[in-house]
Amino acid sequence: MLDRASTFADPVVVELLTTKFIPVAIDQAYQRRQKDAEGEFYRKIALQGPRHDFEGSTTQGFYAATSSGKFLFYSNHRGPGGEAGLVGELNRALAAAVDSADKGAPIEDGERDQRYNPKPPEGGLVLRVHSKVLHGYDEPKDRVQKIFQEGRGRDNFWITASEHEALAKGALPESLQRRLVRYHFVDNTRGEPPMWERDELRSLSMTLNNGELRGSVSLSTADGKRSFDAEVLGYVESSGGRVTRMDLVVRGLFEGCGEYTKGPPPGKFPFAISFTIADRSDTADAIPPQGSRGWVDGYFE
Amino acid sequence: MAALMGCFSGAASPGRAELDKSDFDRLEEALQPDTAERWRQIPWRISLLEGQRAAASEGKPIFIWAMDGHPLGCT
Repeated sequence: MLDRASTFADPVVVELLTTKFIPVAIDQAYQRRQKDAEGEFYRKIALQGPRHDFEGSTTQGFYAATSSGKFLFYSNHRGPGGEAGLVGELNRALAAAVDSADKGAPIEDGERDQRYNPKPPEGGLVLRVHSKVLHGYDEPKDRVQKIFQEGRGRDNFWITASEHEALAKGALPESLQRRLVRYHFVDNTRGEPPMWERDELRSLSMTLNNGELRGSVSLSTADGKRSFDAEVLGYVESSGGRVTRMDLVVRGLFEGCGEYTKGPPPGKFPFAISFTIADRSDTADAIPPQGSRGWVDGYFE
Repeated sequence: MAALMGCFSGAASPGRAELDKSDFDRLEEALQPDTAERWRQIPWRISLLEGQRAAASEGKPIFIWAMDGHPLGCT
């Protein structure tokens, strides 16, 4: 969130990464644990940096390396680019890469670690999810707080083949409803959100009639410190046994936050989420749902 | 065509209003991402090995944006 609006908003950084580097974006919680060629290549690079407790803690940050895995730099500063920041580091990395004349052979994927390479269900659907706090924040104290307050959430909602088939026939499977609200009715606009536990779903009523989906949902933690009461409206169309449109909007009052989403507006605040079928035109369409992280079977149970 | 259902308890909580078509249109538009944001202009790959192969082929170094949670998602 912060990097997008600061470091990667610098036009020089954008130009350097676009023309002189191969830019890769990853959730390192996968690669640092993967028992496959990709995991090995990531750990080879990270091991040369300052963060290499692959089981115990994060290795997040910016890394540059040659194609053979020779480490060029690590940085975890979250500020603007500039010569004193990431621009300088990128330029020094480029010079070091040229000096080393280091070049690795292409590494094939080989057998992938299935736990960390979940794929969307065959015959299912992927819906893009966008979310936003509509208003309610106090005046930001600084630029960083302003960036978080303007943050938008992005995720993907995975629907199974059998749920897709049911939707195309005009039904709304309970499994889909539960997954939708437990893993996607979350405030992910300031970072990684906590998902809703089964018993935190207090009430859920959803209907699909003649292509119009309506719903009413109430979610709350046992202590009541985090809650979301929302209404849903959507449109589902199908043709030839396939869903051709599934657009939903959710609006309600959210309260509270998680460990990594601190700094919400005070009290109950208006929060909205939208869903639409992913057409694969966005690179992020291929990212697994945040709620499936490390345990895709749990996401689908 | 009519169907279903899933009701655990159905009472709507106070403080929220049923959505209508104009709410739907307004919210759908408000939630669209800003496609002009600079970070979106960077040709991010999400497979490190695809990146490695491109780096080997094009003779460029790899830049990795590694986060907790996916950088193109919620973090």
